[in-house]
Parts: sequence; C-alpha cells; structure tokens
Amino acid sequence: MAAKNLAYGRLSKVFFVLVLIFAVLYIFPIFWMFLTSIRPDNDIHKFPPTVIPKALTLSNYLYVFTGMRGFSRYFLNSVVVTLSTVLIVLLASAMSGYAFGMRKFRGSGLLFMLVLSVLTIPYIMYLIPIYIMEYHMGLTESYIGLILPYVALNLPWGLLIMRGAFSTIPLDIRDAAIVDGCGEFRMVFQILLPIVRPAFVTTTIITFVFSWQEFMFASTINKKNNWQTLPVGIVWIRDELQTMAMGKVGAAIILSILPVLILFFVFRKFFIEGLSEGMLKG
Amino acid sequence: MMDDVFIKSARWQKKKRRLSENVNLFVFLLPAMFFILVFIAFPVLYSGYLSLTAFKFGIDKVPTFIFLKGYIDRITNDSMFTAALINQLVFAVSYFSITFLFSLVLAIFINELSFGVQAFQVIFYMPMIIPMSLAGITFAWLLSPINGFVNIIIRSITENPRFMFDWYQEPKTALIGLVVARSWKMVGFTLIIFIAGLKGIPSSYREAARVDGASFRQEMWWVILPNLRPYMLISSIWILINSLKVFDLVRVITEGGPGIRTYTLYYYSWKLAFERQDLGQASQVAYITAAIIVILAVVLNRVFRPETAERA
Repeated sequence: MAAKNLAYGRLSKVFFVLVLIFAVLYIFPIFWMFLTSIRPDNDIHKFPPTVIPKALTLSNYLYVFTGMRGFSRYFLNSVVVTLSTVLIVLLASAMSGYAFGMRKFRGSGLLFMLVLSVLTIPYIMYLIPIYIMEYHMGLTESYIGLILPYVALNLPWGLLIMRGAFSTIPLDIRDAAIVDGCGEFRMVFQILLPIVRPAFVTTTIITFVFSWQEFMFASTINKKNNWQTLPVGIVWIRDELQTMAMGKVGAAIILSILPVLILFFVFRKFFIEGLSEGMLKG
Repeated sequence: MMDDVFIKSARWQKKKRRLSENVNLFVFLLPAMFFILVFIAFPVLYSGYLSLTAFKFGIDKVPTFIFLKGYIDRITNDSMFTAALINQLVFAVSYFSITFLFSLVLAIFINELSFGVQAFQVIFYMPMIIPMSLAGITFAWLLSPINGFVNIIIRSITENPRFMFDWYQEPKTALIGLVVARSWKMVGFTLIIFIAGLKGIPSSYREAARVDGASFRQEMWWVILPNLRPYMLISSIWILINSLKVFDLVRVITEGGPGIRTYTLYYYSWKLAFERQDLGQASQVAYITAAIIVILAVVLNRVFRPETAERA
C-alpha cells in the first residue's frame, strides 16, 4: 500500500511537469503578442529575425492612444453594446425565469423546450433574416442593430439559468407575500431577486463574454467605424496598417483584452463556475 | 337574495384575481417572448422559406418559389458546396479529436495534482475570454512567414527553405492551423467540464480499485472513464456544435484561401449571402449545416448515453 502511494506520488510529479509545459505553451501566443507590442518596428522586422528583443519601447501603446484611428471609439462601442445587452438579458430573463420557474401555466413545458431548442441552431441561420429585417427597418449601422440580436441569442441561456434558480425557491415565500398584500411585480423584484443573485452573476458572465467577443453579426450588420465593436474594429486596424506594423496591432490587441483579463483574474471563480455551470445545466 | 349577491361578488373577485394574475403572467413573459419570436423563431422560419426559393437580394423583387430544387442543386451540382462540406468535416473531426482528447488528458493530469489546480484552470481557461478574431490575428502572427515565432525557430534549426513556409497559405497546413487556433481557445471549457466530472467521482470508488491492486492505467480505464461518460456527452455535444461554427477565424486569417481550402459551411453561406446577395442558396447551406448538427448530436447521444439510459 505504501509503495503504491509512492508510485502515485512520483506519477503526480510527472503530471505536474507535463501540465506546466502545456501551460507555458498555452500562454505563449499572448506573451509573444505582448513581446511584439513592446518592440520597435525595426526590431520586429529586422533580418535575420530574433526571438529576444534588442530594444524595448512603449511607443506602440502611445500610438494606440494618440494616433490610431478608431480604437477608442471601438472600445466605447464594445462597452455600450455589451452593457446594454447584459442589462436587457438580465431583466427579460429574470421576468420570464420567474414565470417558468414559479408560475405553472398551461404549455409552459412545451414553450420552454422550444426556447431551449434554439441553443443548437447555428447562428448563421438567424443572420440572413435578421440582416434583411434590420436593413428594412433602418437598424443597420447602429448600436440597437447589434444589441437586439445579441439579447435574443443570449436569452435562452439566461432563461435556462433563471428558471433553474427560481424553481428552487419554495412557493410558500411567494404565497406569503401575496397574502400580505404584496403585488406580484413588487414581490418578484424586491423579495425574490435577491434570492437568485448567483443566477444573476452567471447570466451576466455568459452574456458579457458572448457580446464582448461576437464577430459575425457585428461585421455583417455594422460596416462603419462609428458603430463597430473591438473584435471587428481591430481586424480593420490590422488590414489598414498591414503586417509591417505588428507592434501597433499587438498593442491594440493587448489593450483591448487587458481590462477583461483583469476582470477575469479578479473574478476568476465566478467566471469559471458561472460559465461552466450555466452550460452544464443544459 | 343577499347571499346570492355575496356569492356572485366573491366569484367576481376570484375571476378578477385570476384575470389579473394572467395579465401579470403575460407581462412577465412578454419581453423574452418578444425577442425570441422576432429574432429567433421568425428568422428560422423565414430562412427556411428562403431556402425553398431563388432570391437575389437587391436584384429580384420577390423570391421565386422553387421548392427543394435549391437543396438538390447544392448537394449534387455545387462544387464549392462540396468543397466547403469536405473542409468542414475535416475541420470538425480534427477539432473534435484534438479538443476532446487534449482536455480529457489534461483534466486527468490536473486532477492528480496536489496543488496548483486552481492556477492551471485559470491559465487554460483564459483564452475563453479572448475574442476569436483577436486570437486569430495572434496565431497568424505567431505563424507568419516573415518574422513569426515558429519560423524563426525553424530557421535557427535549418536554413532549408523547404521548411520555411506560410502556414496559413500552404494548402496542406492552412486548415489544421485554423483547428489549432480554435482548439487553443476552447480547450479550457471542456477541461472545466471534465474536472468537474472527475471531482464528482466518489473517492471510495478509486480507493476500492487501489485496494484490489489496480494500476493507474487500470484505474483510469475501469473506474474513471466510465464515470465520466455523462460529462463526455456534454462536452462532445458542445465541441461538436462549435466545430461547425467557423466563421471569424476564416474571415480574419485566410479568407477561405489558399484557393478554397479553408472555405467552411458558415463562411460559404456568409459569402453567398453578403457578397453574392444570393439569399436562397445561402439559406440552403445554413439549413444543411443545422441538419448536420442535429444528426451528429443524436448520434453522440447514442454513443455516450447507453448506461444512463438503462438506469433511468
């Protein structure tokens, strides 16, 4: 028995080394981008090329803030679109999550199944009709044009999570509040919402991560600088600058992922648990 | 007489309350249902309708109904579609195997560690929050033929120009290069699922196996893997659905090239719709993609579910 434990201990060391190697390889692409972003252009593009920088500079970052067209606007757009999407999803999914979770109504099971079936449908199927619809309503080239489909695509997830949370609340709480003369809306917003706070966190994270990264809808619906979000905007910046300005593009990439990366590290537990829990519930 | 009035008014009250409850219910459901009906249900039906028509946006005034002819054309008479389908299948199979196996092995390793579990989870999860398009630029730069890291390393080993190539413009490596970038981003998620599954296996199972003298490999094969089955199902369905949604990478890195070597179903459908304005053909491709996803999901359910089904 003791020998066995020892064998496992040795195995565990081997595993640790292997995992460590993988982890280093895993971070490397981002690290390489970072390294590129703090090198002057002539150092990046010299011949023969070297891995270790000969000179370091912050000028690329300075350029992003002062000379780069669009970056700050894209950033603002991403923030506006993401926050609005998250807020609307939270409100709508909490309301109907309550209805599905605590109010039994005829056909609720069927309706819910229909909502969930959405999750497997490829998004490209929605893209064409939504584009035509928004084109006719004049919603392309606007924040709303992105927010509306983002909300719709995230709602099924939110609904799934919220329904789960509401259905764990004992019905007595609701009945007691109603007997005491509390209106249904006040009851949901003042008494029940605080109870399902964890579901709010999960829904927020899932929606946030999706909206912050979305590319296909953004690049199709908005084609002008004013309304574009970061994931597409930075690709435009790269296309404009071409490959010889990788330092500047790298700085823009690092700057655009840094705030989210910090959020992610600070709230890592919520992110990891939230994202996986939310999806595992399906 | 008085009684009658009383009863009537009580009934009325009850009716009124029920009515107001139903109104409330309607209001609670309204926002979500609005979005789902207008931006999900309608689009699915509308693109279903479009897929049965020939319709060029901005050229044809109204769609011409052609029933299934479009689908038949796509399947039998559209070399681009066939190419995109084959690319997509190659992509899906390699993406599936890389992501599934790599995250499973990694999860088993990490689960055996006595410390650092949290830290490793965070590291492998990190790419999940980096937009795919930016990850795409990063990988294109890493593999860039001019001064990309990989080619610098290769150059330091051999000066032979045969080994110096533009990974994303080389027909042999372009698609697998995309697979690697996408797996890099997604492994963290399935890793977390597997770790959750491993943590859920009661330690008594493993101890019992050890007492019986099982080696680590036997323990894996007979105790761990069978218990992971439900988690394998979840992660494979998730990987699978994702393996068909390949748009941003193609658009950012290869634009479908070299030639049409990295055309995927998504990309082809998008090209048809937004560059050739052919909404009918684009919808046919989108619907076929959806059909493939549904079929594969059902198959996967069969593969991983037998045991839980018996128990239920």
